[in-house]
Amino acid sequence: MAMQGSKKEFFNATIATQRFALGARPDEIKKINDNAQQWLLTQLDASPTVTFDHALATANSILIAHTEFTKNRKAFRKQQADKTIPTAMAEMDSANQMSEMQAMSSESKEPEKSKEPKNPHNDFYKALTADALKQTIESENSFNWRCLAFFSNHFSVSAQGQLMTGLAPTLEREAIAPNLYGHFDELLLAVCQHPAMLIYLNNENSIGPSTRFAKKNRGLNENLAREILELHTLGVDGGYQQQDVTELAKGITGWSVFKPGKDKQQGFIYHKGKHEPGTRTLLGKSYPPQGLSQGKQMLKDIANHPSTARFVSTKIVQSFISDQAPEELVNHLTTQWIKTNGHLKSVFQALINHPLSWQTQQQKYKTPYEYVISTYRALAVKKLNIRQVQNALNTLGQRPFKAGSPAGYSDQQQDWDGASALMARVNWASQIAGKKQFAKTNINILIENTFSNTLSTHSYQVITRAESRQQALTLLLLSPEFLTR
Amino acid sequence: MLRRDFLKALAASLVVYQQPLLAMNNGEKQPPKVVWVMLRGALDALHTVVPTFESSMKIHRPTLYPSIEHKLLPLAQVSSMQQGYALHPALVNLHQWYQQKQLLPIVAVSSGYPKRSHFEAQDYLESALPVPDLDSGWLARAIALKNKQAIAIAQSTPISLRGSNQHSNTWYPSRLPDAEQQTYQALQQLYQDSPQLLTRLEEGLNMEALLGEKNMQKKQQGSFISLSKSCGQLLSQPTMDCAMLTLGGWDTHKNQTGQLQRQLSLLDKGLQALKTELGEQWDNTLVIVATEFGRTVKENGTRGTDHGTASALFLAGGKIQGGQILGKWPGLQAEQLHQQRDLKATSHHFDWIAASLQQHWQLTDQQVQHIFPTAKVYQGKMFRA
Repeated sequence: MAMQGSKKEFFNATIATQRFALGARPDEIKKINDNAQQWLLTQLDASPTVTFDHALATANSILIAHTEFTKNRKAFRKQQADKTIPTAMAEMDSANQMSEMQAMSSESKEPEKSKEPKNPHNDFYKALTADALKQTIESENSFNWRCLAFFSNHFSVSAQGQLMTGLAPTLEREAIAPNLYGHFDELLLAVCQHPAMLIYLNNENSIGPSTRFAKKNRGLNENLAREILELHTLGVDGGYQQQDVTELAKGITGWSVFKPGKDKQQGFIYHKGKHEPGTRTLLGKSYPPQGLSQGKQMLKDIANHPSTARFVSTKIVQSFISDQAPEELVNHLTTQWIKTNGHLKSVFQALINHPLSWQTQQQKYKTPYEYVISTYRALAVKKLNIRQVQNALNTLGQRPFKAGSPAGYSDQQQDWDGASALMARVNWASQIAGKKQFAKTNINILIENTFSNTLSTHSYQVITRAESRQQALTLLLLSPEFLTR
Repeated sequence: MLRRDFLKALAASLVVYQQPLLAMNNGEKQPPKVVWVMLRGALDALHTVVPTFESSMKIHRPTLYPSIEHKLLPLAQVSSMQQGYALHPALVNLHQWYQQKQLLPIVAVSSGYPKRSHFEAQDYLESALPVPDLDSGWLARAIALKNKQAIAIAQSTPISLRGSNQHSNTWYPSRLPDAEQQTYQALQQLYQDSPQLLTRLEEGLNMEALLGEKNMQKKQQGSFISLSKSCGQLLSQPTMDCAMLTLGGWDTHKNQTGQLQRQLSLLDKGLQALKTELGEQWDNTLVIVATEFGRTVKENGTRGTDHGTASALFLAGGKIQGGQILGKWPGLQAEQLHQQRDLKATSHHFDWIAASLQQHWQLTDQQVQHIFPTAKVYQGKMFRA
């Protein structure tokens, strides 16, 4: 790609904002100047790494609301069923009485025909995802938000069914964000003990087959154990067998979630009686029966397994730098991972400090999420309408927590660059550019703030010679330099 | 391809696309068509094509089997050799197809993939190579050899159709109003040095032209039924030989009775919508429905089933040799199961897919070998005259 200028620092500032972070906000590139690496390294030390609105619902409050909701709905339905039993005469009588009563007392605002209790989970989902999106778009630490998004997708939970719709967005807030730059084994444990993951992958009802709680249709479920090994740690080629899946599944039997109204303690619950007794063997190592600690030790060991170091390092390099992860960079991260027992801050420092991360060629095609977020960051809308952002992600095919698979969304080009997907971006970008609030956008300033001097001469000319401001903005958002990073 | 060649090819295809609307309704016999439907997530075959003759079903599946046992749709037996299978109650249309000899279920098949990861197993099923190549799908190899045109009803090209860019395309409904014509022209200029983006843009514009204004007006994100319907419309064009559809949601680890009732009903109605849209071309069409692997014979502790091995494969179409069940049944006794837990595979998907595709598209043995290097091609007749 032919570049206009030659000031290296602005290349690096653009790379830092586009490739490592989630796109430049208007003054960011100027502020970074020639301190691109330092700008990223400093974010690793931010405390907290990312900020959420803590007034919003938590996994615990959602579980309580869910219990309340199902109880009320059951009562309501029973009441409705009872009502249909009386004879038609009685019904007519009561209807007459009702209308008389209502006629007599205009104050009785509460009509007899009450409504079915409302499922609260869509509201939880909307509020929690809106918060994360807003914070991401407005953040000065958007590298941290990319790291959070990476692990949130690595430990993907899907908003499917009533309860998971509310619960899915809590995992990254409660289990991932607090452990973002700590050791990977702590992150893994926090995730595996979080209600969203336990419920999503059906471990909350997994019962040791030789315990007294096991019945003909109540027993072991190996779903979570399998995905831990396949997707979260070792990787599918990481050297485990079906036997290891079963053993890990048994090792985490009894790992469950509190039942509001029954359990005093909230959040993660360990049911001793439902835990499969006996020694477990995972990857050739024995784990004596130690209750909860047995499963914890198993998780700790696979988190620190060399296959995990390589599998997750490869995913990081593929996600941040290039679909074709350079072997040298993967090795560098893997070595750092093993040396520091999976200390994620050190691993990300290694990524930031390696020259292969800073090649000028843009090698990643933005996912819809990256595309939408970087658009809103570049435009720096004063009154951000989060519904628009949510609709955009829906239209472009990447709603938060809707991957529908524990493998999460792909971030590989081939999964997002189809003809139809591009047409959807074209239509979306022209719709955005057509909004009144952007009618006065100064395209030259926007180009400078977004790309510094890295935009190709060709793109620069086509964009600045567009026949309208709206078209110029559309073209900028669809330029090869903005679709990639 | 050089850019100039590409544009020439594009211009040619645009001309071709303008004809079909006229040619479409006169019922002329078009070249044979293929629809490839992938059920992602691993369909529980024992809950779909049910071996009612296995007395152990109730023991293996104490809650799952009774939930459908008395509503099953029995499949007529062709010979006394054949045992009593039945379809899940939601498969009303497919049951009718079977009675009309237009549905051919094949039991106990696997892709040959030995493990239980969804994602790897799907790669196997789409690539059909002993070591999956994510850039070379079996359908892509077939259409490249026979110079056919394919369309994936998807946002981007699935593995099955990767490796044959000139021959395949994607289409998926979008909910936004179209950008202005001038914007497209400016974009073509903007992508002058970005061949990949330019190709995608041109493909996208072609697709929209092809579907016509009527469809574009009521743009909706598709359910499987409306996607199948659009698929049928696209495939009704004489220039379109092949389409791919996918339906997810089959990973039933928990409370599978209700989930499969909904999913199978969706599949059944979607396939019926496809058939309706294809009209007279149905007699000319081969539909292949497959899933990456089966599920455990025993139900698990949460009224679902876990990842297993063999599953079922469906072939359908107006002239398929239907109304019978193929595939050797391995049995459900403990010693007959794979690793004491899964239905054992007695044949591979590609043995059957290769046979039907060879007979449908007149492939030479050599071509079949290139497309499906691992297949032991089934030698029986797959189509009725």
